[in-house]
Amino acid sequence: MNNVIECNNLTHYYGKKRVYENLNFHVSEGSILGLLGKNGTGKTTTINILNGFLQPRSGECLIFGENTQHLSPRTKARIGFLIEGHIQYSFMNIRQIEKFYSGFYSKWKPAPFWELMSKLNVTPTQKISTMSCGQRSQVALGLILAQDPELLILDDFSMGLDPGYRRLFIDYLREYAKAENKTIFTTSHIIQDMERLIDDLLIIDFDGVLAQTSVNEFMGSFKRFDFVLENDKADLKKAPFVVNLDKVKNKIELYTYSSESIVKKYLDDNNITVSNFAQVKMGLEDAFIGLTGKY
Amino acid sequence: MMWKSVVYKEWLKIRWFLIGYTLLGILSIGYLFLTVKHGFAFTGGKNIWNTFLFLGHQFFSPLKYVPLVGGLTIAIAQYFPETVNKRIKLTFHLPLGENKALLMMHAFGAVSLLLSFLVFFGMFAGFSLVYFPVQMVTDSIISISPWFLAGFASYFLVALIVLEPEWKFRFYYSVVGGFFLTIYFAPAQTAAYGPANSGLFVLTAFLSIALLFSAYRFRKGEM
Repeated sequence: MNNVIECNNLTHYYGKKRVYENLNFHVSEGSILGLLGKNGTGKTTTINILNGFLQPRSGECLIFGENTQHLSPRTKARIGFLIEGHIQYSFMNIRQIEKFYSGFYSKWKPAPFWELMSKLNVTPTQKISTMSCGQRSQVALGLILAQDPELLILDDFSMGLDPGYRRLFIDYLREYAKAENKTIFTTSHIIQDMERLIDDLLIIDFDGVLAQTSVNEFMGSFKRFDFVLENDKADLKKAPFVVNLDKVKNKIELYTYSSESIVKKYLDDNNITVSNFAQVKMGLEDAFIGLTGKY
Repeated sequence: MMWKSVVYKEWLKIRWFLIGYTLLGILSIGYLFLTVKHGFAFTGGKNIWNTFLFLGHQFFSPLKYVPLVGGLTIAIAQYFPETVNKRIKLTFHLPLGENKALLMMHAFGAVSLLLSFLVFFGMFAGFSLVYFPVQMVTDSIISISPWFLAGFASYFLVALIVLEPEWKFRFYYSVVGGFFLTIYFAPAQTAAYGPANSGLFVLTAFLSIALLFSAYRFRKGEM
């Protein structure tokens, strides 16, 4: 499968503060990839580099084979971009903004835009600045759908949206992307939303990429085991399979890619007595926190 | 089609400012010549002639900052909305070259300003010819030309300042730009700016692409 996005050895600093070093990832054609990471790990930085709004210190990102620092107009027409906060030209009304954008895209399809607008309680002459955040999100989404791009880059699409609009946004987007074989690269602070939308994930932390795989594979292999230590002095942090460990007094939350038998064998081999050992079912948000830590 | 869309967006941003400014400019010129008419009626032509020719009074001096105000108004109306929430990103993402998009926007703003100025110039020349001989009208036009060039210069400079991503640089540009604009407003006898006007024109034309530097800095990620 072709890579729509390919970033190689991406390194960026803000002054002396390192954002990341030698970050490598790719997004395959037709996949919906979510970029997950805590605040400050470089999600928006990555989006800005992908859109050519930021020059990385070294490394490069390619979209459809072109360096993102010099995207040609033809390639830009193939990319739909949602700015964080669903920013659009708020001095326009929905009729004006549809007219404005239609002049730029040869494949412009007004039907999806007006279909979405018909779901909103707005008039065609109502200025975008007077709309709610949720309504503005639908305007921004409608414009991207009308553009009919092959790749959608969405920066924190759930920001400021109430649960209803978030659900509407995700369901509409996923159905559209799957029906039309679109590729999506997205970030969001709300992991539950990502769980409904994405096929693949890329989790970054201050030290680089923690995981890049499909959601199903990640959720199938990443596990949480809870147990109670008989001796709360026992040190499990050095165990080779531990990805993350949360310890409150003698209660342990252990995150690992290893199986239950491997964990239990380690405990037995090291004479660590535990009780109430159980694997806990996780959602994507639990797994994300388990992998990256709470702090 | 793309240029039509660019013009459409820019028009939506500046239309009321442009119309309002043009109307105020027309009223200013109307008021100026009402004053001239009043002078002729109440102090007599001979006296007016004396103050203009021998005492150096410039009847057109109330127009001095009218073009400057126009340049500031149109530049702010056009570029400030692009900086709110970094909306300029939307422009840069359009399927045309970033510089080309900006220069199209800029050309539209400059032409709008030019049209407004042409109305003022036409009114000024027309009314002046009613009251003064051709030589005096020509000299007056030479004198007001730098002020109109200052209108364009302020438009270009404010675009540079507003699009600049860093406040520190905005401040520097404002100080330098403010001093630079004084070149256009040095006190001078009527028609004294004649030899300098072509040089000022070239200088102003160079300023027209200054905003590309701010756009370049924005795209590099300065903030």
